Amino acid sequence: MLISYNWIKSYIKDIPEPEKLAELLTFKLCEVEGVEEKDNGDAILDLNILPDRAHDLLSHRGIAREIAGLLKLPFKENNFEEKEIQSESTDLEIDVQSPLCRRYMGRIIKNVKVGPSPVWLKEKIESIGQRSINNIVDLSNFIMFDLGQPIHTFDLDKLESPKLIIRNANEGEKIELLGFEKMGDATKERNAILSSSELVIADEKDALVIAGVKGGRKAEVDKNTQNIIIEVANFDPVAIRKTAGKYNIKTDASKRYENEISPELCKDAMEKISYYIKEICKDAEIEELVDIYNQKPEVKKVSFESDYISKVLGLKIEAEDIKKILGDYNYEYEVNGNNFSVVIPSWRLDLNIPADFAEEIGRIYGYEKVEAILPTGIPEAKDNDIWKKICLAKNKLVNDGYQEVVNSVFRNRGQVSVLAAASDKSNLRDNLKDGLKESIELNIKNLPLLQGNEVKVFEVGTVFLKDKEQINVAYGDKKNINELSLEDYYERAKDGFSDDSLVYIPKNDHDFQYFKPWSNFPFIVRDIAVWLPEGIPPEKLINIYKSFGTELLVKEPTLFDSFTKDGRTSFAYRLVFQSDDKTLTDEEINIIMDNITKKIVDLGYEVR
Amino acid sequence: MMQEGYKKGGLHPLTLITNEAVTIFKEMGFAVEQGPELEDEWHNFDALNVPKDHPARDMQDTFFIKGKPGIVLRTHTSSSQIRYMENLVKNGGNPPFAIVVPGKVFRNEATDANHEMQFYQIEGLVVGKDFSVANMKGVLLEFFKKFFEGEEVDIRIRPSFFPFVEPGFEVDLRRGEKWIELLGAGMVHPNVLKNCGIDGEKYQGFAFGMGLDRLMKMKLKVNDIRVSYQGDLRVNQF
Repeated sequence: MLISYNWIKSYIKDIPEPEKLAELLTFKLCEVEGVEEKDNGDAILDLNILPDRAHDLLSHRGIAREIAGLLKLPFKENNFEEKEIQSESTDLEIDVQSPLCRRYMGRIIKNVKVGPSPVWLKEKIESIGQRSINNIVDLSNFIMFDLGQPIHTFDLDKLESPKLIIRNANEGEKIELLGFEKMGDATKERNAILSSSELVIADEKDALVIAGVKGGRKAEVDKNTQNIIIEVANFDPVAIRKTAGKYNIKTDASKRYENEISPELCKDAMEKISYYIKEICKDAEIEELVDIYNQKPEVKKVSFESDYISKVLGLKIEAEDIKKILGDYNYEYEVNGNNFSVVIPSWRLDLNIPADFAEEIGRIYGYEKVEAILPTGIPEAKDNDIWKKICLAKNKLVNDGYQEVVNSVFRNRGQVSVLAAASDKSNLRDNLKDGLKESIELNIKNLPLLQGNEVKVFEVGTVFLKDKEQINVAYGDKKNINELSLEDYYERAKDGFSDDSLVYIPKNDHDFQYFKPWSNFPFIVRDIAVWLPEGIPPEKLINIYKSFGTELLVKEPTLFDSFTKDGRTSFAYRLVFQSDDKTLTDEEINIIMDNITKKIVDLGYEVR
Repeated sequence: MMQEGYKKGGLHPLTLITNEAVTIFKEMGFAVEQGPELEDEWHNFDALNVPKDHPARDMQDTFFIKGKPGIVLRTHTSSSQIRYMENLVKNGGNPPFAIVVPGKVFRNEATDANHEMQFYQIEGLVVGKDFSVANMKGVLLEFFKKFFEGEEVDIRIRPSFFPFVEPGFEVDLRRGEKWIELLGAGMVHPNVLKNCGIDGEKYQGFAFGMGLDRLMKMKLKVNDIRVSYQGDLRVNQF
């Protein structure tokens, strides 16, 4: 969520510089993924709001409240001048027929003038990456990003009557939806066919809005709109989530609803938007509020002991410390010795159990104060048998000269498949053999680049059969591949082999080198055999190959043949050339080989 | 005829890294657990306090199995920890215990140099009467000190959220001067213990999970984790 530094300042003046603030938030609240300083003196912070705090922190007020608590600064829930709204009687009727609507507040405002937003509003909206549309839409968005409460507006004159019905849709009912702002093209339209599990806001004839998810065309506010209905409502999060998922419409509003927000928030949002509409449209006539509040949540209390907090954190926290923290956040609480009973503010839907306060107290007090202490009193326990069998199988296969591969579980064929894979391979392997076969083919092609002179591979892994999964062991070479279950392999192997130790790269391995990536360009192999007189070691040749082979020589030259005749020994070496950035030509390698040959001849040896 | 002697075979670097990680945890008293790769939603989600139709399920892109509603490819090895606790209780056992589960997990996401649809994790779970955040830090710091032996390392924790823990943490690792975000951890949520039949008022503990591919990348300086899963023996360099 993008947060404007200056917007936060409208709640609390004395906040640290943006970078400092970002650091504070990262260690005490949530990660700040970026800070962008703007030319106009503002700064935009990109906060990664965690899902359990989406209830209250997808809003500038929520963030400001946190900052005030963390920095022990005074905080006012309202950052605007509250004025008594002179409201006039209303004809608005609201009929909430579905339990999926927890609260519905509506208000008619007449005689508004839809037009461009004033500069301050446009700047505010644009500062956090939103597009300015018109004063009414911008105000709704402004309040949503300010308080976290979505707001919808209807053109009153487009309704059948001044009555809104909040009901489940009729099966097959159609609605013409407004364009997708995210696509940057507000004229793009889409029709939806609704089902009875979906909640709509309707007039006496048609569905006007898919509640909490997307507005419809019929009652859209446009430049000619004069009279509007403001909706500030609260809906069932699961229903919103399902609907938004079904139509694949994720809006800033649906995101807030599906993460759940408190219905208590409606009141503040309605007051604030009414105030600002009156500010922007001086002639607006504000009518009385209609508030259907069917599901008012009870006030929660959570009790915990300070000793419990200390025990969870592994750090002694005194009751006095907890009192200070609760005070800084303006919590209402009672304390009895070490026992705290805290009244949970309506917006903190995430605080339900004592463990939640271990987090609250811990993060505010400072996790850096928690020392690293190794646990004691862990009883000795045996490793899982399957694990030991896997270790034994791998060790035995390595001992038998096999190299381990780990192939992908996803294949073109199989008895079990996954839904909607991000790749074309949506089946799960039902054997290891097919993968090993491909691996052997691949590695035989690369044999000159590998150690050794044959390819022997194995894999230990899960295969997926129609009604079960099973761990298999497969091993083989180009002639033959064996595959059997881990159990069977173990039964056969265990009598002659018992090593199930854990093999890893020794810590004192002095030859250790980091992983060397390889080139994807083709390699060229050249063999060279040289007669050396008695007493001349073949290392002499290796040194020549390495120094004249240039950086294109990718591997230690390998001796593949040697024999002695008439006091001389023939050493045949295989040289492998490969470039990191191009396909080599024979001509290039010929030059290198000529240089090598010349050097050898100059030394008086004979190239065969 | 003289020939370079046939070398004995070799292990895949992921196995070497896994074995090293497991060894370090075993030295701290952990036992190794295993579990299935196909899981039901109970073990992969519900028991871990990730309810159906909750936005928290979006935190992971899950592979669902065709024609088998409620069955998924596990998105973490935490599911095996649930199985372990259920079995422990069924057999009349109780905490304390400390287990690690290394294994293959799956995420339905686009692949790149840092992401594969399959990868390896190691997750730890320690439950007893008073295992704390301090102990969690102790275990993780000890792990990294040994895993990156010879280097100067430190860890720090920041607030985070995973449904199966409370409090939840992001753990950063410092090697030399630089901090990097490396793993998720936290105190086991009382609901998770309760779901397995363990009294969450009497017992508490911590859990953590990290990517073994990532550890391999860091330790061996592998630039692209995808090379691991291509059956190419050129990865077996160690």
